[in-house]
Amino acid sequence: MAPPLHPADGDPVPPALRGFAKAHADLVRLHEDPAHLVARHRDPARRVGLVSGGGSGHEPMHAGFLGRGMLDAVAPGKVFASPHNKQVLAASRHAAGPDGVLHVVKNYTGDRINFGIAAERLRLEGIEVRRVLVDDDLATESDETATGRRGTGATVVVEKLLGAAADTGLGLDDLAALGAEFAGASRSLAVATRAQTSMHTGRPSFALEDGELEYGVGIHGERAQRTISRPPAEELVDRMLDEVVAGLPAGPDEVVVVVNGLGGTTLLELYGLHDLVSDGLARRGLDVVGALVGTFVPALDMAGFSLTLTRLRPSWKPWWTAPAITPAFPRSTAPTTEETR
Amino acid sequence: MTTFDQEAVLRRFARAAEDAHAELTELDQRSGDGDFGDNLRGGLRAAVQRFEDGSGGAFDALGEVFLDEVGGTSGPLLGLLFTEIAHALASGTDPLTAFGEGTRAGLAAIQRVGEARVGDRTLVDALSPAADALVGGGWAEAAAAAKEGADLTSGLRARMGRASYVGERVKGAPDPGAVGIALLFWVAATVAEPDASVPSPLSGVTG
Repeated sequence: MAPPLHPADGDPVPPALRGFAKAHADLVRLHEDPAHLVARHRDPARRVGLVSGGGSGHEPMHAGFLGRGMLDAVAPGKVFASPHNKQVLAASRHAAGPDGVLHVVKNYTGDRINFGIAAERLRLEGIEVRRVLVDDDLATESDETATGRRGTGATVVVEKLLGAAADTGLGLDDLAALGAEFAGASRSLAVATRAQTSMHTGRPSFALEDGELEYGVGIHGERAQRTISRPPAEELVDRMLDEVVAGLPAGPDEVVVVVNGLGGTTLLELYGLHDLVSDGLARRGLDVVGALVGTFVPALDMAGFSLTLTRLRPSWKPWWTAPAITPAFPRSTAPTTEETR
Repeated sequence: MTTFDQEAVLRRFARAAEDAHAELTELDQRSGDGDFGDNLRGGLRAAVQRFEDGSGGAFDALGEVFLDEVGGTSGPLLGLLFTEIAHALASGTDPLTAFGEGTRAGLAAIQRVGEARVGDRTLVDALSPAADALVGGGWAEAAAAAKEGADLTSGLRARMGRASYVGERVKGAPDPGAVGIALLFWVAATVAEPDASVPSPLSGVTG
């Protein structure tokens, strides 16, 4: 295996943050100590700063979603590690609006604790804070543990909807309640055909034989509970759709779907998979009103994809289609129902 | 009522953490990643330095250092406690009342963040009874309650944190975070009531 092309030995995150900030200097600003990035532009109607963050290795999340219509500041941790509370604190101070700060947190113990500590410190400074927890991964649904479902691909959907909702001037409590509804209406499932390359050994983090598939994999190289023999793509998508649709709480039949590459999967594959996903959803009576296909929440260079569905209430639809001017969120998310030619 | 010497608490706590380093490390190696002794000792050394270099109170220095610089999960959680105690001590009420209020506020913050309850085998098992004892009793009662709470963690399984992965195997020795809390209240009692006889929470077997 060839080792990754990081600039030098040591932590690959700081040079990547600098490069990201240089590439998107019109949209974001980087503060290196403690590391956090802030959006240069925000809608003047926005009253609540939106702050997210988490481990690195999932690019473009979260920094790629900074900008008008989405996030105001982010705190990137080391690879697969939660950011330090002082990064979250610094990002939140920058982002805070007149109605405070809303933290969008993926459900991992480290992230919960570090965002929680930052929230306590912000309260001591007189800044109001609420939290939206994203916990969409069905593979980790269990009644036996207190940790709950992991947060994965739905994060992009939650951040997009919250960004547009925040730009209508909603207050902190309303946004926190909405965010919980967005996350609650979302479920995901991920599969991998090859583990990501370990930062330490330069080899795959876990071994999969040819013809094997990790079913229910996490985005940090956490193995799934099951390794199955690999079915054809049609059969695999069908099985995943059955599970995700069954796992979704009841709600409207209009959905947003995310077909997300885990880092080592081509767009050629992802679009082919989305063709199957769209047809499969139509057969199940679900109407796809928005789709994201691409690599948004990878696990370094893992080969595989995740499938996320969000049931979209009619009142949420304008928030999905509202423009977001960010480094990584596709600008053309409007459904193609009003063709001009 | 006597004055409460924050600086003496900081310095004695730092010395106690030096003495307790081996024992805390060994306790943490049974169930966690073994860095609690390092984190507590390193944080207290840095807090003494910050206090000597700065203009704030000793508990302000403790809070800043543990929130910003100390690793692990328990370091910043302790930072929340120290910060709340610093705020309470600055309020001007008598030290025992202030320490009690700060401890209760710190406990509440730690529980909001960490979501641990009494019985989960965390530092909350020592902190919660100490907070109650400060309100109903005094310094020596709080130290005794924290020590008893820490001792009782020996019989508990962990529900939170890394120790939860090893199940029954953590039983038989106390949670290092709870012992660290007991150490703080033991130090506070020896400073506030020099004449009282307060037993140390350390077992001394490895110290």
